Amino acid sequence: MHIAGIPDHVLYTWLVMAVLISVSFVASRNVQLVPRGTQNFMEVVLEQFLALLDDVIGHEGRRYLPWIATLGLFILVSNLMGLVPGLVAPTGNLNTTAACAITVFILYHSIGIRKQGFLAYLKHFAGPVPLLAPLMFPIELVSHFARPLSLALRLFGNMFGGHILLAIIFLLTGFDGLIGWALTGQLMGLLVGTPAGVLMIAFTTGFLLPLKILVAFLQAFIFCMLSMLYIAGAVEEAEHQ
Amino acid sequence: MRRSLMLTLMTWTVLSVPGLAVAAEGAAPATGGWVGPFSVLAAGLGMALASGLCALGQGRAAAAAVDAMARQPGAAARIQTAMIIGLALIESLALYVFVIAAILLFVQPVK
Repeated sequence: MHIAGIPDHVLYTWLVMAVLISVSFVASRNVQLVPRGTQNFMEVVLEQFLALLDDVIGHEGRRYLPWIATLGLFILVSNLMGLVPGLVAPTGNLNTTAACAITVFILYHSIGIRKQGFLAYLKHFAGPVPLLAPLMFPIELVSHFARPLSLALRLFGNMFGGHILLAIIFLLTGFDGLIGWALTGQLMGLLVGTPAGVLMIAFTTGFLLPLKILVAFLQAFIFCMLSMLYIAGAVEEAEHQ
Repeated sequence: MRRSLMLTLMTWTVLSVPGLAVAAEGAAPATGGWVGPFSVLAAGLGMALASGLCALGQGRAAAAAVDAMARQPGAAARIQTAMIIGLALIESLALYVFVIAAILLFVQPVK
């Protein structure tokens, strides 16, 4: 589906938002002490996020649950959406992933500044040895600016690479040609094209699709995990010093 | 000595093929016809190098993680998490090259 004037990734981002909002509305419409159905499912999902947050950030990690869970569910649903024929993964576009990564960048710096104060937070860029601070400062600065870049490019590269892989499997190996050959009704086409086409379909759905599902879950997990690690790095300094 | 000579000759041959192909087409277009074929070569060779070296690095990381998990099965979950993060960080280096290759192939900033 395509609406003129609206880029595809924005349109499908709205679709992801609609899915997430309706699921969370259904889950929280009638909250009960003993959860059932959708509420039960969403509680299990959020408990995974809570366990991760406790594991990585520590006892005050639960404050960041809304942010991390929203990010993770959005990326997961967008990744999985790319597997449905006819739908587009919003994360297969660099603009969407860059938006997520830049918000993570701004968030963890603002958390660090709020926790420690501006000067104390600046000190943690300078490294442990005061003499080496002029050397460390540019290096730390570059490494911090590389973080959103690598976050955005990793997610985008994985999703986009999956599409390219599927396109190459479908087109360059002559999949459509084989099917077309079989559909012409010629004897050779039926004898060669049909088994080859069936083999390609079996390979795609049996091997590539599970691989892409694994990548979708893994990339959502890694994006959340790295965001949590960055927040933990910004928060931890305050506890030690 | 002989091997390095062969390698040089082969590299030279591979690199001169797109030039020859362009030259065979007759009058080259005004916007330097050499850059396109070479950018395709650069994308392919760069992606091959990057993915091969990335595989070496990831193999080392996975081997060390499996070794550690075999020694301490109790800590397997934490080791696995650390391994996945490490693999993602290693893989992102290959993905930079992939993005550059995709830019070279599809966006073609230099023509």
